[in-house]
Amino acid sequence: MKRRIALQHMATVVGGLVTLPAWANGWSSQSLTTNSYLSAKQDALLASVVETIIPETDIPGARSLNVHTFVQKMVNDCYEEEVQQNMIKGLQVTEELARKKYSQPFNSCSADQRMEVLTQMENSADQPVADFFKLTKDLTIQGYMSSEYVLTKHMKYTMVPGHYYGCVPVVTK
Amino acid sequence: MANFTIDAVKKMTYDAIVIGSGISGGWAAKELSEKGLKTLVLERGRNVEHIKDYPTANMHPWEFEHRGQVPLELRKQNPLIGQKRGLFSEATMHFVVKDAEHPYVQDKPFDWTRGYQVGGKSLLWARQTQRWSDLDFEGPARDGFAVDWPIRYKDMAPWYSHVEKFAGISGNKDGLPQLPDGEFLPATELNCVETYFQGQLAKHYKDRQLIQGRCAHITKPEPIHFEQGRAKCMHRTLCSRGCPLGGYFSSNASTLPWAAKTGNMTLQPHAVVHSIIYDEKKGKASGVRVIDANTKQMSEYYARIIFVNASALNTNLILLNSTSSRFPQGLGNDNGLLGKHIAWHNYRARITAQYDGYQDTTTDGRTPNHSYFPRFRNVHKQETDFLRGYAAGFSAGRGTNQNREGIGVSLKESLLNPTLGPWNVSSWMMGETIPKETNFVSLDASQKDPYGIPLLHISVDWEENDDKMVKDYQEQFTEMFTKAGFTNIKTSDSKHAPGADIHEMGGVRMGTDPRTSLLDKWNALHACKNVFVTDGACMTSTSTQNPSLTYMALTARAADYAVSELKKKNL
Repeated sequence: MKRRIALQHMATVVGGLVTLPAWANGWSSQSLTTNSYLSAKQDALLASVVETIIPETDIPGARSLNVHTFVQKMVNDCYEEEVQQNMIKGLQVTEELARKKYSQPFNSCSADQRMEVLTQMENSADQPVADFFKLTKDLTIQGYMSSEYVLTKHMKYTMVPGHYYGCVPVVTK
Repeated sequence: MANFTIDAVKKMTYDAIVIGSGISGGWAAKELSEKGLKTLVLERGRNVEHIKDYPTANMHPWEFEHRGQVPLELRKQNPLIGQKRGLFSEATMHFVVKDAEHPYVQDKPFDWTRGYQVGGKSLLWARQTQRWSDLDFEGPARDGFAVDWPIRYKDMAPWYSHVEKFAGISGNKDGLPQLPDGEFLPATELNCVETYFQGQLAKHYKDRQLIQGRCAHITKPEPIHFEQGRAKCMHRTLCSRGCPLGGYFSSNASTLPWAAKTGNMTLQPHAVVHSIIYDEKKGKASGVRVIDANTKQMSEYYARIIFVNASALNTNLILLNSTSSRFPQGLGNDNGLLGKHIAWHNYRARITAQYDGYQDTTTDGRTPNHSYFPRFRNVHKQETDFLRGYAAGFSAGRGTNQNREGIGVSLKESLLNPTLGPWNVSSWMMGETIPKETNFVSLDASQKDPYGIPLLHISVDWEENDDKMVKDYQEQFTEMFTKAGFTNIKTSDSKHAPGADIHEMGGVRMGTDPRTSLLDKWNALHACKNVFVTDGACMTSTSTQNPSLTYMALTARAADYAVSELKKKNL
């Protein structure tokens, strides 16, 4: 019933306006692009966090594939204000923990130290802290695995397979 | 001045008007213009030109800013389409109607799924194309619901063939009474576990089969497909973005360019049809009133015949809004049944499981199709405590095990080296719903949409027969899955609101008796013989098959009849 009322209300509002069904307006992803909401410092810290989750080896890590930019964009465009604020808070906690445990900025910590900080946050009893870690990790994995580099170099991505074979032997690497 | 008026009317006059450019409107456009009629096709949405207007068709996953997810602001603005599973994504949302664009009133929850653009939902459909049989056309008469269909399979068979050859339908000749064979291009492949399940069914049951779905994909192009500028399906499986190859059938890739090539079709987008004009003196329809979606100006267009293909519920809306002193309740609505007996398909139930066999095999490439489980309940006689039955989709495929534990190098290693998971199998029901007078649409007395057209009230809901069918599907498939040795079997009933099922039908049903139906056996209004309805609105019952192929065939059949009647000067 609630939905019905909402719609009726909307209909009344819309009825008075000259709304054009201009397809191109409002639907293109470009028009929705927003500027980064994190400061340069917070962005650098986020880069360090995603790099800790998926580090550089002989294969590029999350930072060099710009996954932190993706994470920030997703949080900014696809999540509620409180989630956006919790990201800022989570980054603060990350920095504070590093300074408390290792007396240096998170960025200056060794890989092991950074992993220790994030693991502590993952297991935190403080729900917002644990939530920050989980969301950042999930988005990092999503951004990394759907990056052009990983899909084309490691996941045999192809847009046009050209065929479907229903029953083939499993090829072991 | 008088001459000027006559000229102006002449300019607005065509032989035929087709309202809507989706699956059925596209076919009306093709058939009528091919037979030499100057045909005006009115589409309420924008133009979508094949290839040119498929902005996302060649985009890679990483090119979508939010990897497909629709930003929060747009989701909040569109709570209704936000529920369209799969269609509301960065890849396809430009083909789905925004909530504010065309409001409607839900007397009961209804997730109306609409595509307002040239091509309509033919860009987004599931592309499954199964014929009806007499077990479907004789259903209402045998089981005592709705009214008897005025046609039988023999009336439809040549028209099924006609549309199949042009559209390009792949499939096997399976020889089943409930699913007649058609004009097929080679079928797509079943995979190991689908074939295995097929064998298990044959072993345990006499009345149940799994077949490959017949689908509107060109697996091996014939000259007629090349002539349309279409090519072989390349298994991109990005269909709902629009296919630049024309690998699957859509109005945009197939019927509309074909109609345009005749030189007889005028396609007019941004043309929202307000109503059909009834000429009291001549006793037939003379044209349509159209509102320009951009300027909101109304104009009139005239023609000798009118095909209404606006999509089932919008076709009801237009006819209900076409009032005159002869038809105060809506065009052709002498019996008061216009808008009533709305039915659809029941997609509520699903079942998933795993299979531990065939560990040394997998699939390669991607399939645009899935396998199909023809109806086995109440096929030849009534056997259960519910009326009619259900078909089902079935598919199997191997997933990947992705270990997401931990962080750092070990996480990266597991992400980049996923292992093959077990075979996952799933099935979804496609149930027949029973048309009832209490499931109906009507017009609001005062509220209007942005074009000044009354808002449509939708008042439809599930009933006990649907619940029983869901339960039976879950029980029967659990039994079949168990016998096949599938494990981890899970059933679900989404209980979603109707509308998300998309296949709404009825309201302007066909029948032999003008007292109980709106359309005759040629899809013409009993009471206004030059108006034809050949989209979902004409359906007397729903059967279980995906309906588009039947709309195509009904449209081609009705167009052939209309043109021959015009030639005989009967219309």
